[in-house]
Amino acid sequence: MITAGIDVGSISAKAVLFENNNVMASQVILTGYNSQNAGRQVFDRVLKQAGLEAGQVAKIVATGYGRNSIAFAHKAVTEITCHAAGAFFLDRRTRTIIDIGGQDSKAIALDDSGKVKDFAMNDKCAAGTGRFLEVMARALEVDLDAFGAMSLTADHAAAISSLCTVFAESEVISLIARGEQRANIIAGIHASVASRVVSMAKRVGVRAPIMMTGGVSKNIGVVKALEEKLSANLMVSDRAQVTGALGAAIIAAGL
Amino acid sequence: MAPPEKIVDPDKERRKIKSDKRMREIMAAYYIEAKTPKEQRGKKIAWITSGGPVEPLHVMDVIPIYPENYGAMIGASKMGVDLCEKAEELGYARDLCSYARADIASATVNGGPIGGLPEPDMLVCCNNICGTVLKWYEVQARYYNVPLFILDTPITHTTFDDAMRRYVTRQSEEYIHFLERVCGRPFDYDRMAQVGALSIRAQELWQAILDTTINRPSPMTCFDAFFHLAMIVTLRGTQTCVDYYESLLAEMKDRVAQGIGMLPVEKYRLVWDNLPIWYRLRWLSNKFMERSACLVADTYTSGWVSWMPPENTTDFLGFMGESYSRIFLNSGTDLMAENIIKMVKKYDADGVVFHSNRSCKPYSFGQYDIQKIVRKKLGIPTLMIEADMVDERSFSESQIETRIDAFIEMLKK
Amino acid sequence: MDYFQRFREIGAQPDTYAENWKKKNGAKVVGNLCSYTPIELIAAAGALPYRILSSGAQISRADGYLQSYCCGLARGVLEDALAGRLAFLDGAVFPHTCDTIQRLSDIWRMNVGGFHADIILPVKLDTESAAEYMLAVLRKFKADLEAGLGVTITDAALRDAIQICNRGRRGLERLYALRRSHPAAIAGSDLHAVLRAALVMERGELAEALEQLADHLEARVEAQAPPVSKAKRLVLSGGLCSMPDIYPVVEASGARVVWDDFCTGGRYFEGLVDESGDPLAAIAQRYRQRVVCPAKHAGIHNRGQYLLDKVKAYQADGVIFLLLKFCDPHGFDYPYMKAMLDMENIPSMLFEIEDQISSEGQLRTRCEAFLEML
Repeated sequence: MITAGIDVGSISAKAVLFENNNVMASQVILTGYNSQNAGRQVFDRVLKQAGLEAGQVAKIVATGYGRNSIAFAHKAVTEITCHAAGAFFLDRRTRTIIDIGGQDSKAIALDDSGKVKDFAMNDKCAAGTGRFLEVMARALEVDLDAFGAMSLTADHAAAISSLCTVFAESEVISLIARGEQRANIIAGIHASVASRVVSMAKRVGVRAPIMMTGGVSKNIGVVKALEEKLSANLMVSDRAQVTGALGAAIIAAGL
Repeated sequence: MAPPEKIVDPDKERRKIKSDKRMREIMAAYYIEAKTPKEQRGKKIAWITSGGPVEPLHVMDVIPIYPENYGAMIGASKMGVDLCEKAEELGYARDLCSYARADIASATVNGGPIGGLPEPDMLVCCNNICGTVLKWYEVQARYYNVPLFILDTPITHTTFDDAMRRYVTRQSEEYIHFLERVCGRPFDYDRMAQVGALSIRAQELWQAILDTTINRPSPMTCFDAFFHLAMIVTLRGTQTCVDYYESLLAEMKDRVAQGIGMLPVEKYRLVWDNLPIWYRLRWLSNKFMERSACLVADTYTSGWVSWMPPENTTDFLGFMGESYSRIFLNSGTDLMAENIIKMVKKYDADGVVFHSNRSCKPYSFGQYDIQKIVRKKLGIPTLMIEADMVDERSFSESQIETRIDAFIEMLKK
Repeated sequence: MDYFQRFREIGAQPDTYAENWKKKNGAKVVGNLCSYTPIELIAAAGALPYRILSSGAQISRADGYLQSYCCGLARGVLEDALAGRLAFLDGAVFPHTCDTIQRLSDIWRMNVGGFHADIILPVKLDTESAAEYMLAVLRKFKADLEAGLGVTITDAALRDAIQICNRGRRGLERLYALRRSHPAAIAGSDLHAVLRAALVMERGELAEALEQLADHLEARVEAQAPPVSKAKRLVLSGGLCSMPDIYPVVEASGARVVWDDFCTGGRYFEGLVDESGDPLAAIAQRYRQRVVCPAKHAGIHNRGQYLLDKVKAYQADGVIFLLLKFCDPHGFDYPYMKAMLDMENIPSMLFEIEDQISSEGQLRTRCEAFLEML
């Protein structure tokens, strides 16, 4: 049986095709203004990638911010439950998930059977999300993709203490004016994100092994900063960005 | 704008307050005694709120410990952020008072600059300063599983009436019975008279010290007062406190006689409102000093001189309840505004600096109205600084520096 | 007949209701912000006790009086008062609640006109000296009301007021009881509309309307004999619930709310005033014994134990904490209450409400995720 998971977030939409415990194909596109269209589009693309027709897909589960607008899905399930299913599939040892996306971050605690035990979300505030990194990249005039590599060359993490993204930005500007090295500032930015996220994660209780999901996991600097704050290694799959859609497809298989 | 011209100060050494050293010694000895293991120490420990009735504790030889004072130390040692984060991990919202968050977290990890406070045998909570302390002490009562006494002091929005008087007087009696029960021995009323007299004397001395800043140049600033405050808060009612403040007062009078001001140049005199920003005292002190502005008085440190009956101060327990009820912070916003206006006139100030402190709602809400009243009645400039007393994550350096500069420009005649 | 219609109308425009009531009766409206307000005294004075909630309008004036770290209730009602949307009030009374309300009272007194009274009730509820003081406060409030409204409050009027307020409380309890025994018989948002209206309705009219509604619903349940509901059962815990969105979200996810301990819900009506004996003493008694608000003290485990007891008694599957951002008393209680639930393996979820910000999408995600967990 072939199933599909469609994860329509506020920034990107993802789709995964799943059969016999295998990922057949996965796609990521920008959501744009219309989540319903984005859901349709990313589904079409992933079908094309696998060389399949829509009729060959037995069940579809939609997740993410736009999950309720995907009319052609059989069920809508929250991204919390889907991330849990996806992460647990990728590695059954996973007991905590830290997800940092473009506009929100979450921590999910799993029980030994992979079910969600508790969760916490930050979807109110840019600090601790990909948005924070974007704002800082603009302030530093550095390409966001270069953040990870640059931060690894830092000799220390410059202190950035503000809770608020706007104030943190002005702290960064002050640091630049004072001649602080960009690498150190970026390390400080990563430490700031890690601080916020780990604080939230500890509210649900952090049990190793921990898996990181979401687009920001591509940033090695953030991964390292999180590992330092947690005093634990993080598992990062190359499917990190599509874990939600993967989980949705897995849940679809159980319907 | 260009930074202020650097002031070269040939009298820098002379300006340092000599008594500071003795203050540190006394406070160190106090904490060392408190942290001595129970078996050797002998004395019991009470955790008490900063506005709480400490005198009966001294009568019973109970060592009073002030989590709020520790909160200040945590802030000053820049350990506030870590502890606040830890509290948030425990489920306490980030918007709660940072003293409470830091202390609740500190208790679980023996945190802060002295590796945690010694465990309490009892908790004494007076809500004259705020309603947060009630919740904070309930948390600690559950955590430490020790008896909790609450002195509930009704607020004087406009009047303090007989029903309130009776309520706090009856609670004073309940407090004594509480102490007798927890300490397992009767209360010594004769000793109470002595401790009461010492407390009153210490308050008189403290007020006299604060009053030396009426002089020009002012021998100290409110930043010095923030430092010397710890003694009247923690050791009020002891001979040590009286002796120390007598020597500090003598030094201040001496400085006045010699014309030694705390600032090399004193162009502007200001009043500070609200708690200090503990982790940035030196930075703030320098910012104002560089701009020749002297913070001559503040509403926080003067808060430890409480209401006294006009005559007969010998029956301390009789008026203790009312004394603790009628503090500056436990009164209506318009009464607080009057107090600030009196202060501006008394110390001949040119402006008021308000610290809008995220952690302290009763002190901060109403400041906008007070600001308006001060501007209307006195026509002087005021400055509002938004920050937090212990949580540095709510402090934005460049924003605050800009505001201070703009304010100083307003003061320039 | 839609017995909920009247309640919905009043709840949607409580100010219109009050204005019409004023015109019709030529009497006064007294605003208040707290469930410790002795509404019996206000009713006995011939006035309408009007519980004020923020209208949700855009904030523009209130930011000049209250800093950003103030809860949405205080900011919102001050905004309404300054904008003139509460002009129909003849005055407002302020029981001592929390630090924010305490300062709001001062700011209100200094900037908003009309009769103003502080009801400086004790924070402690569990000592004899507090009980004595509370009685003195109630006597003073009675005198303040009489002076402020130009009336005399007779003993007979007070006894009548107590009776009619009790009738209203019984009516609300009947509806809550019905909802927990037959969750599908009454939609959460309908019951919410009833509570919203109950906060402002004249006590007599309220009692009548509630009794009619309860009679009707109970009869319908008996006639239809619906099967036992399989929906997951939830308890809500918090202060105010000024967001009705929670109910459709919960119900769409396949669950039902069977109890709440809200200040504007369960706490509002729980416990009757003893109709025998001295009226003021009886009113004081109810406030001392009713489940404690976190801004009051009556022991250190009371609220947690009460919640646990209710969850067990009403066979709830989980608890959703709805806490208003910047509400300190509720914020301090949350960790230990959650810990008590955790000890008994009762799942719970926290959602922070910001009064002015519409967060339906976020609430929906969290609710659904929570229910997917159960």
